[in-house]
Amino acid sequence: MKMLIRSVMVAVVFSSCAVDDPKFKTFANNDLQLAVGNAAKMECTCKFVMEMDDAFCTAWVKASPDVARFSYDAKAKTVEASAFVSWVAHAHWVDDKRGCVLE
Amino acid sequence: MKPALIAVALSLAVVASSAFAAPCPTRASWPTTDWPATGTTNRSTQVKALEDYAFRTIGTDAERNGIRTDSVIIIKGGNIVYERYARGWAASNRHISWSVAKSISSTLIGVALQKGALKLEDSICKYLTRYEGKGVCDITVKDTITFGMGLQWQEEYENSGYQGSSVISMLLGVGHVDQADFVLTQRQSYKPGSQFIYSTGYATVTAAVAKAALAPAFGKDAFWSLLFDKIGMSRTVFEEDVKGTPLGGSYVYATPRAYAKLGYLYLNDGCWAGERLLPEGWVTAATTINDAFKANRGSCPYAAVEGTYVLPCEDTPSGYMWWLNKSPASGVAKPYPDMPDDGYTAIGHWGQYVAVVPSEDLVVVRTGDDRNDCPAGAAADQTVNGVPCNFDIGKLVGLAIQVAK
Repeated sequence: MKMLIRSVMVAVVFSSCAVDDPKFKTFANNDLQLAVGNAAKMECTCKFVMEMDDAFCTAWVKASPDVARFSYDAKAKTVEASAFVSWVAHAHWVDDKRGCVLE
Repeated sequence: MKPALIAVALSLAVVASSAFAAPCPTRASWPTTDWPATGTTNRSTQVKALEDYAFRTIGTDAERNGIRTDSVIIIKGGNIVYERYARGWAASNRHISWSVAKSISSTLIGVALQKGALKLEDSICKYLTRYEGKGVCDITVKDTITFGMGLQWQEEYENSGYQGSSVISMLLGVGHVDQADFVLTQRQSYKPGSQFIYSTGYATVTAAVAKAALAPAFGKDAFWSLLFDKIGMSRTVFEEDVKGTPLGGSYVYATPRAYAKLGYLYLNDGCWAGERLLPEGWVTAATTINDAFKANRGSCPYAAVEGTYVLPCEDTPSGYMWWLNKSPASGVAKPYPDMPDDGYTAIGHWGQYVAVVPSEDLVVVRTGDDRNDCPAGAAADQTVNGVPCNFDIGKLVGLAIQVAK
């Protein structure tokens, strides 16, 4: 069942984002993977590099479509973002010169 | 020639060249530790006009409408004459640069050039050696800082289709693990140096080249020891991808006061406290319209060719990843009518700016979070539902000049 749901969602995502314009090169990105990658990276940076508070970062990270949810470990300086269970991304703090990296 | 004679000859050459080198500007003090502040006196009318423009908000913060300024700093004569933060930001917070990072990356190429670690005419393959024989070795270091690499690139953002965005694919999608490789494996659409293509990816390569050129002699933290620490930007964060490539097109973070120091370095011809950090002539070249840009305007408007991305006609001329207030082509107005002709800027997404105006001895920094549903490439005065699409840095500089008088 989980596989079926995922397959349907992938089909919906790709069909809704198809680019027919031949002048453009298209890339094999999944929108949901982009969404969770963005959330993980931006939350890590907002929290640990820009050192803004939770309320600010929640608003700052929010993107359209607003499907990604995230949590962070303040001690380990790591962030996990997810969407619809199956899509997950992680970012972590490296050091005070190199900030955060999207894994 | 015997080694002793070579050494004498080199010494004489150095002495001779230094005798004719342009001297570094002198200042009463340098803001390496922090900026001296003088404030404004009797300028309340001018300050109000500036704040009415820069700090006016529309709707709720959550709606992300209109101009949303996080900070403005005005430096005049080496002193802070105006500084204000908003929306929860403070002087100690590092702010995302977005594409202001590109101007920083090109500056690091200048630093490497000054240190003798590279030459602008070198192939990028001299530094990114894994690409030898991969078809990109005709690209020079200079091509990276003039947006002239010629590799296919579609600089589309969140308001366009995600599947057609090279930059989103690089930062978050299929290219995010090894971002230099993502850029350097794109199709060579144009001969290097022959066409201007605005590209966050090219700036990633710029920073990668700078790091590769500097690290062997100066260590992995060369960006800090040779530039950021020298000018008091020590807390600058320069993020990297998983492979260790510095993400020089977008992911640099510094305080607004630190960004002002970058502007002040340029205002002082690449010198800081008597030390020349950028080569003589660098600032002039970095603020002169480059040949790739001229080629872009020379072939505007473009004809759509099957299978080829139609490049936008750029309206703001570029030097070395700095943006110039000059007419882009005959009969076309300069981009910022309210800014003096000699002004130039580093510009980042969502309204990040570092503006330098030599004729006014002025640096203006503005950070922001302007996220409207504006079409890509929206005109400066375009509105959507009555909300301005773009912050006008030229207007802010014009207001700042009045505040700083």
